[in-house]
Amino acid sequence: MLAGLRVSAFLAWKSIQRGSRGTLALTIMIIALIFVNLVFLPSIISGVVETFNTQSIDFDLGNLVIEPREGSQYIDGVGSLQKTVGRIPGITGTSPRIAAGVTYFYKGRNAASTLYGITPEDERSVTKIADSMTEGEFLSNGDTDAIVMGTTLAGTEGEEAGGLPSLEGVGVGDSVEVAYPNGEIRTYRVKGIYETQSFSVDTSAFITSREMSGVLGLQDQASIILVKTEVNGREEEYKTEILSYGVQEEVRTFQEKSGGFVDQAIQSFNIINAISTLVSLIIAIVVVFIVIFINTVNRRRQIGILKAIGIDQQIIINSYVLQVLFITTVGALVGIVLNAGVTTYLTAYPLVFPGGPVYPAVEASAILRSIASLFGVSVVAGYIPAWRIAREDILSAIRG
Amino acid sequence: MIVAEDLRRVYTMGRVEVRALGGVSLEVAKGEFVGIMGASGSGKSTLLHILGLLDRPDSGRVTIDGTDVLALSDHRRTLFRLNRLGYVFQDYALIGELTALENVYLTSLVRGASKKEYLDRSADILERVGLGDRMNHRQSELSGGEQQRVAIARALVNNPSILLADEPCANLDSQTSKSILDLFARLNEDLDQTIVMVSHEEWHKEYFCRVVTLQDGLIADVTECRKGPRPGGGE
Repeated sequence: MLAGLRVSAFLAWKSIQRGSRGTLALTIMIIALIFVNLVFLPSIISGVVETFNTQSIDFDLGNLVIEPREGSQYIDGVGSLQKTVGRIPGITGTSPRIAAGVTYFYKGRNAASTLYGITPEDERSVTKIADSMTEGEFLSNGDTDAIVMGTTLAGTEGEEAGGLPSLEGVGVGDSVEVAYPNGEIRTYRVKGIYETQSFSVDTSAFITSREMSGVLGLQDQASIILVKTEVNGREEEYKTEILSYGVQEEVRTFQEKSGGFVDQAIQSFNIINAISTLVSLIIAIVVVFIVIFINTVNRRRQIGILKAIGIDQQIIINSYVLQVLFITTVGALVGIVLNAGVTTYLTAYPLVFPGGPVYPAVEASAILRSIASLFGVSVVAGYIPAWRIAREDILSAIRG
Repeated sequence: MIVAEDLRRVYTMGRVEVRALGGVSLEVAKGEFVGIMGASGSGKSTLLHILGLLDRPDSGRVTIDGTDVLALSDHRRTLFRLNRLGYVFQDYALIGELTALENVYLTSLVRGASKKEYLDRSADILERVGLGDRMNHRQSELSGGEQQRVAIARALVNNPSILLADEPCANLDSQTSKSILDLFARLNEDLDQTIVMVSHEEWHKEYFCRVVTLQDGLIADVTECRKGPRPGGGE
């Protein structure tokens, strides 16, 4: 058995060493590219999920949201609720927001979007919007006539935002009129412009809760309270914890709040990925099969001779399987290097999705899965043609 | 050593049945150098293939060193070829990706010999066939005669009971053919190597102990040939 394997390895190595270098390099390259394809798409899907989670937590929703009870438009007693939630171990911040659908006016242009009323200090404890200012400054607690807006909403002079709300060129210091749903119109000075790369946040604007409560006639009320936890990924535990503190309002994790949008997107991505994986593996099967098939057909006579001089057909088959294993191993290694290159490039220049920049997240499980599937199909695709030729009658093989 | 009894073999080529052997019986004793001769299509290669376990007769019996080789499974036949038989083909049949030395020690590798053992033995045999300085050359770097010498060395490396050669000089010029036949004769005499060789060249007869002539799948004649020293034996 061991002697047989030694001979298989010997024949395989000599064939690799002294066979066609061009064919070998081409086959390895194809396997490497198939490997990249197998790993790349799952890494982008993981990247999308990671981006969505990070962007949602950092800019849009925090880890959890508290919403009004069923039938209510606002949460009442926001101050005491904040205190209650703030006492829970592991909760690092809460930020009540009042949301209103408004229309902005600037130099004859208008855009409809959401305006949030926030307590700047609280908002800083939950989101990173204040750290994402590209111009000007974030709001202060005492501001009443100031507004900060997202870069998409502020827009660029003469450029439309492709269907997104844009005032096409608002800058810091400019005055913007805001028409509230109750008919009130206020003018605010733009104090800052931020860019989070999360399109729902970058098309919104913020003023202080104090100002918005005044306009809408609210008192100690909010449309939503964002909750930040110490660690990400344990939202369900914190949700149970908050509810156990007697909070009567609706408590939802950021995933629940997003309403399965990402789940649906991921499902679609996974279908594309499954098709892509299938196609890649079929290509791998075809390439390996053709290479080994041509190889064995060309060496049909040689295989016959090997059998004639007493070399068992399993040794011959194994020599081809070992060649395939070598090609797949080197192909996978080259693929890992190529993938590292692609990942490095896309980390430096990420893909821009509506939810934010997507960095490929290469998971070890995806690499292992790809290697395993590549090896599986390659061995089968290499074994079959070798087996077909090797089991042929000796004299027929020798006669070619 | 080899006992073949009433070997029959019919090939079907399309709708036509071709009788290759029509009942051949033959005995080859240890140390004999037997030539199988005959016109093209007389059945000589078929007989050699059956004696060499590369083909099976439709009926008949072959015993080599007391073993009924036709009763062996395919795997056992492979092992028998590896351990007991050596082949020399008409067109050398070397593995092009291997050097002369590697071609020779390949079967020793299968037999599980140690590295030192198979390297020493293969180098020794290559020296003996006159290729001591060509061991690390590949097939494409060797002349026809040199390639056939490598094939002979490969056939001999495992000390086979029988060396089977299928027209080993067919692709060689007469001078090279003579050197190959001299080598066979020397092996036969010095090592008492049993050799069964197919040939169609009349002048080869002087090397054989016995010539079996086939005609239309039957033995037409058996002639004792070499009685005295082999040609060139005094060199």
